[in-house]
Amino acid sequence: MSKRVLLNFLKWGALIAFVILFLFPFFWIMASSLKGRGEFFTRPPVWIPTHLEWSNYPDSLRRGAMKGLTDSFVIAFSSMVISLLLGAPAAYAIARFQVGRENLAFWILSIRMFPPIATILPLFVIFRFIGLVDSYAGLVLSYTVFNLPFAIWILKGFIEDLPREIEEAAKVDGAKPFQIFRLIVIPLAAPGLVVAALFTFIFAWNDFAYAVIFSGSKVTPLPVVIAQFAGGHEILWGQISAAAIIAIAPALVIAIFLQKYLTRGLTMGAVK
Amino acid sequence: MSGVEERNFARLMVTPAVGLLFLVTIAPLLFSVVVSFTNLQFGSPQPMRWNGLDNYVNLTLRDTRFLSALWRTILLVTGGVITQTVLGFAVASLLFRIRRGRTVLLSAILIPSVISQVVAGWQGRMIFNASYGPLNDMLARLGIKGPAWLASQQTALTAIFLTDTWQWTPFLALIILAALQSLPQDIVEAARLDGAYGWSMFRFVTLPLIVPVTGIGILLRGVDLFKTFDLVYILTQGGPGNSSETLTFFTYVQGFKFFNPSYASAMSFIQLVLVTIAAKMFLAFIRRQRSF
Repeated sequence: MSKRVLLNFLKWGALIAFVILFLFPFFWIMASSLKGRGEFFTRPPVWIPTHLEWSNYPDSLRRGAMKGLTDSFVIAFSSMVISLLLGAPAAYAIARFQVGRENLAFWILSIRMFPPIATILPLFVIFRFIGLVDSYAGLVLSYTVFNLPFAIWILKGFIEDLPREIEEAAKVDGAKPFQIFRLIVIPLAAPGLVVAALFTFIFAWNDFAYAVIFSGSKVTPLPVVIAQFAGGHEILWGQISAAAIIAIAPALVIAIFLQKYLTRGLTMGAVK
Repeated sequence: MSGVEERNFARLMVTPAVGLLFLVTIAPLLFSVVVSFTNLQFGSPQPMRWNGLDNYVNLTLRDTRFLSALWRTILLVTGGVITQTVLGFAVASLLFRIRRGRTVLLSAILIPSVISQVVAGWQGRMIFNASYGPLNDMLARLGIKGPAWLASQQTALTAIFLTDTWQWTPFLALIILAALQSLPQDIVEAARLDGAYGWSMFRFVTLPLIVPVTGIGILLRGVDLFKTFDLVYILTQGGPGNSSETLTFFTYVQGFKFFNPSYASAMSFIQLVLVTIAAKMFLAFIRRQRSF
């Protein structure tokens, strides 16, 4: 019996250690976002700020994080809408009519493996030519590179899980294929659409590689703002940490909502 | 409705998506391949001309900076994948063995994997700060003098590796836990009755059964580690010297700092080929494992 208690103790001890390890950096930037200027350069470092410096938040918003927040939101939201509008019909056609057989589906999946730099570089040359660098449209368009294949694969999985019989019954009753898609498949696949929407939003929200290259003085998504803050001459530790906390917030809320579907989303539907 | 009509309808439904994907992936890629056989440079007075395989020959035979970035990337991919899989398995099997609180703990642990890599990088910047960071403070309390981390050629890449491992171990734990939860209980029971336990149970029952699902996670992780860019950008900018420069970051430097798109295109094409070959080999390996 005592061996069992000991094992239980070790098991929980190890788990709690892992939880602390994975959450500690969040504690650290949270604390940092509330530290005063002087508290960043002491040895040993200040673990818990003595007085909470809330002004770091409005200050970071004023210095560019507010613009970053709105830009990120506009871009992520547009990317989500486009991914669903184009992705849902494509997913339906692939799931139910096997368009392009395995090849098309596999090609769409393989885009996930592209090193982004392989498309960023030529896209940059093309975008510069047609004036899409430093514009919302340029970033939204380039995010379809990863968000559209993602939406298609996730929705394909959800649609394949739907019972075929309803669609077949509607077909017998004389419904046109597009009516079946719009009036039967879309409502039934609603959970899939929500999952695809939230994930495509987060992916666009979190992106940095495309953002840093296609942004400029007019369009500055939040991750780019944070990187600029962090690369400046005078590093504003408190303000950057505040901006980082702000950048985490939506992803966190969405992740809690998506808990049940996280595995599916993070593996492009490969693991359910 | 006839089959032809259905086929036309289906084609119509995929066309917008496929068309757009073609425009943003295949078309630029073809453009990039063409450029890689030229000497195109932004802002150069020289006229653009074909130079055949020159870029590729220079890269693979002469450019030591490219070759060491390649080597560093391979180290990062293998080190990252192995460490994250082993740690992920440890976390997953601990979670699998508890009855209460599994969901809550899992969601807490998963937070790193849903945040932006820029934020992860910023956290790394603070934690690895040699003088004022908490890591070296804790090491000092244990009587160990911590290294300069991001400011030292010996440790910069390690710091990137540790940050990535911190961010993505939970992702592998999630996948391995899903695999463990879907183990067919009758097979596990039968093996137990046949006297399998401990190592033999793991090696001959659990492992072969979780390989297919875990393999997907490892593949995704490997591909993403190969493209490591954000963390390098935020944590070290490839320095000190070039000691933490990955392939993708070096390509970025060539293309956007040295304004040398032809050379960078050749580099990115090589990466695409390498990642495709590696992924294919890995999938073949997984398939072979499964049949055991």
